Amino acid sequence: MMRTDWRDHDWQLIHTAPQSPTLHMALDDVLTHEVGAGRRAPTLRIWEWASPAVVIGRFQSLRNEVDGEAARRHGIEVVRRVSGGGAMFIEPGNTITYSIYAPQTLVKGLSFQEAYAFLDEWVLEALAELGIKAWYQPLNDITSEGGKIAGAAQVHRGGAVLHHVTMAYDIDAAKMLEVLRIGREKLSDKGTQSAAKRVDPLRSQTGLPREAVIGRMVATFRRLHGLSDDRLRAGELAQAEALAQSKFGSHEWTTDVA
Amino acid sequence: MHGEYKMPGGKLVVIDLELHNGRLADVQLSGDFFLEPDSALDAINRALEGQPEHADEAALAASVRHALAADVMMYGLSPEAIAVAVRRALHQEPSA
Repeated sequence: MMRTDWRDHDWQLIHTAPQSPTLHMALDDVLTHEVGAGRRAPTLRIWEWASPAVVIGRFQSLRNEVDGEAARRHGIEVVRRVSGGGAMFIEPGNTITYSIYAPQTLVKGLSFQEAYAFLDEWVLEALAELGIKAWYQPLNDITSEGGKIAGAAQVHRGGAVLHHVTMAYDIDAAKMLEVLRIGREKLSDKGTQSAAKRVDPLRSQTGLPREAVIGRMVATFRRLHGLSDDRLRAGELAQAEALAQSKFGSHEWTTDVA
Repeated sequence: MHGEYKMPGGKLVVIDLELHNGRLADVQLSGDFFLEPDSALDAINRALEGQPEHADEAALAASVRHALAADVMMYGLSPEAIAVAVRRALHQEPSA
């Protein structure tokens, strides 16, 4: 099995109307499987959120990470994703989230550290075009002079790699700290100054609406790697909806690491 | 009992456990690390279950390593880091 390059693949873009947190979790599972099985071409998916959520990593303890009472009070759903890494605080419009579903050949022979940086090189270029000097900070962060911008996570299975990233556009830090139990040590890592009310590295450093930042990212990916506009197949959506209900919306999955 | 260890160059490794008759019980590893396949989490918890209260870091790390299948991948996590988190949970204070 030879290593492949971006241009060896026929990249597809999926960017749909806002969807629920559990459906997003399920779509990552289903689309990784479809690319691994060769039924779907490698794909970039941009997420739009229909409702607020805390998304915890596969191995995070629910009670250690989330103040359940605060989450309920703010109407925030707590979901667990398939990949490791840390918790994300999502309100529609406050972040930019994307997934890359690629054949494992694209990262064959790379160390984990190299694979994370490699799959986000296009993002660093898009950020540079927007005037942000950003760089990869191992193991899995994109950071900038204005603080941490993004966290990435990968899962490898069935011949495919899932690489998904959440970037902070304009986060209400006070609300985030009510809901997430983030230790003081971890705060600097989240780009949060002690008195900061917002964590907004993308908004403050570009001065652009979120949609314009996404537009620049998509254009950069398209120019570098090629990208055709695509949509979810009916079968993919049906599978994901079933999985969202049976697995990702279940108490058993969310409390799997209590 | 609860212990945390930020692995240098790695991620946060957390252990929650109880002690029953001088042995580790209800061991739960958690954190923001990467581990594949995800079923390895249960294998690690089971490997630590029943270990003696006074097992040292080397013995704990060896028991974790022994329980891992050849295809398990860790990123930001290691058997040694897990052992440190276990010792911290047992001492409930930073190890010297």
